[in-house]
Amino acid sequence: MPKITLAGVTKRFGALEVLPPLDLDLADGEFTVLVGPSGCGKSTTLRMLAGLETISGGEIFFDGRPVGALEPKDRDIAMVFQDYALYPHMNIARNMSFALRLAKTPASEIEKRVKLVADMLNISHLLHRKPSELSGGQRQRVAMGRALVRDASTFLFDEPLSNLDAKLRGKMRTELAEMRGKLHKNMIYVTHDQVEAMTLGDRIVVMSEGRIQQQGSPEELFKKPANMFVAGFIGSPSMNFITAVLEGRGQETFAISPGLCVPVPSSAAEAAGGREIVVGVRPSSIHLEHPRGIPIELRVVVSEYLGAQTVVAARTPDGTEVLVEIASGRRFCAGEAIIMQIVPEDILLFSKESGLRI
Amino acid sequence: MKHDKTSPAFFVLVVMLVLMSTGPILMMVLTSLRLNVDIMSDTSSLIFMPTLRNYETVLCNALWYTPEHLGRCDKTFGRALGNSLLVSVTATALTLVIGCMAAYALVRFRFLGRDVVSFSTLILRMIPPAVLLVPVFGIWTYQFGLDGTLSGLVLVYVAMNLPFVIWILQSFIRQVPIQLEEAARIDGAGPFAVFFLVVLPLIRPGLAAAAIFTFRIAWNEFLLGNALTDRGTRTVPVTIVNRLTEYDIDWGVIMATGMLLAVPPIIFTLVASRQIITGMTAGAVKG
Repeated sequence: MPKITLAGVTKRFGALEVLPPLDLDLADGEFTVLVGPSGCGKSTTLRMLAGLETISGGEIFFDGRPVGALEPKDRDIAMVFQDYALYPHMNIARNMSFALRLAKTPASEIEKRVKLVADMLNISHLLHRKPSELSGGQRQRVAMGRALVRDASTFLFDEPLSNLDAKLRGKMRTELAEMRGKLHKNMIYVTHDQVEAMTLGDRIVVMSEGRIQQQGSPEELFKKPANMFVAGFIGSPSMNFITAVLEGRGQETFAISPGLCVPVPSSAAEAAGGREIVVGVRPSSIHLEHPRGIPIELRVVVSEYLGAQTVVAARTPDGTEVLVEIASGRRFCAGEAIIMQIVPEDILLFSKESGLRI
Repeated sequence: MKHDKTSPAFFVLVVMLVLMSTGPILMMVLTSLRLNVDIMSDTSSLIFMPTLRNYETVLCNALWYTPEHLGRCDKTFGRALGNSLLVSVTATALTLVIGCMAAYALVRFRFLGRDVVSFSTLILRMIPPAVLLVPVFGIWTYQFGLDGTLSGLVLVYVAMNLPFVIWILQSFIRQVPIQLEEAARIDGAGPFAVFFLVVLPLIRPGLAAAAIFTFRIAWNEFLLGNALTDRGTRTVPVTIVNRLTEYDIDWGVIMATGMLLAVPPIIFTLVASRQIITGMTAGAVKG
């Protein structure tokens, strides 16, 4: 399994630079997820890795070997496409064995491998059907099967689950996670769904506007986001941001916003570089009761009962919207004024100017 | 007034239309089955002794026996049929091979002047063949020495049909999802494997339509065929017209030839049109 390195890779369409120079190292045998909103360049990056898109600058290395000029077939990769891309004129068995047949693999070997993968994906009974006779979920399985049969060193997934309905997506996600454990291959997975990223990835690379915002384990990204973009993108419901003004009172500094007063370490106050600072709080870090909690004054707008959890949409006195996720039990009325407690350790501070975490 | 009863006038009109369109064909069939004495007799009637003699005359050199009524076998018609088949099939095959590759290149490859080339293929289609007649005759005769050869004729027909075939195949290739080609490239297919194993099977309906079109034009073409062939290379349409001399018109033989002329395109169309099925790319990609 090669170690994949992207060194200053860029992509331009004419004068338009869609991907500024990008540096990325992908360790051997890792499941890497590229995640970001649409148009952030994650799919372009994947397509450049696959060789479907030329690179306008920089170089891609597989184990130190430059592959930027190589055809996809010479890169030892397999790819699962967002919209399946099954060959409609071939039955499923032939779809899955296409690459092996091109590689002139012996027929007995082809049959063995197709059967093995088909059994693993539960599609053995579909082998003689055409793609048009399959449901969306089945087609997705076949698309994965076609990649797995290859036994390539690197697997690329381009939003493979985005065309499935929510329930099926959840199921396939679990299966993928299971498969990941069995295969021990390089896997690079592109998605815009942060839940998929969090559940599948050994390492997540968050991208926005062609730039890598942060990379790390799911936990790192959740607990120590590098900036406001990552903090807002990772986690569902997303993080609340409250803009506050820094004020010194005696020895201590506080970030003060209507209905909220957060003590700020002096080092953070200096790093803020201005009078304003952004307080970031996850919806799950706000509770009804907490012994050392920092009070926040809220007015309930609407509450959404989700079973075990209730998500309350509320506003601070100055109108900033705040989401609160608490265990169901108490009912809330619209317009109800309430004081909740923020867990002090969970508060993150961001610079208002740069958006970076302090 | 009730509308569920169709007026008798409607039926009369339909019958007249059917007679008008099938009448000439019917007449051709009947004439081809008659002897010249029956054809020329003043009391032309529907009652006659059908005979295959005219067909025997036409195909005398292809038959395994020598027809009794013939003193000498005139090989003109048999040869012309052979020429027509050879020219049409070769021209169709060549047009399809060149056309599908050109169309693929025009759709998928980016190169300077692509749009100009794409548009000019259509413009070429607008030139009537009669305009080409004189220059082509001159060039074929004096520069290439291709006059009176079958290959010269094939060349003209390929050139005549290519623009339309390219144009029609372009629209079919555009419908092949690009993801399929990408998937094939990832699966290890080179450019030719992508084209022959993925794209070509999916544009089969387009190829069939183009084949029918090309074959029929090449088969029926008279103007250029007349100018560019000689005694040995004449095609059927040319031969038929040459048979209408001021001394003798053998209607029975001409009609039999006409019938034989009509059969191959019908068979070809029936076979090729079976390939024209919709939904070739169903199930390839989502949506």
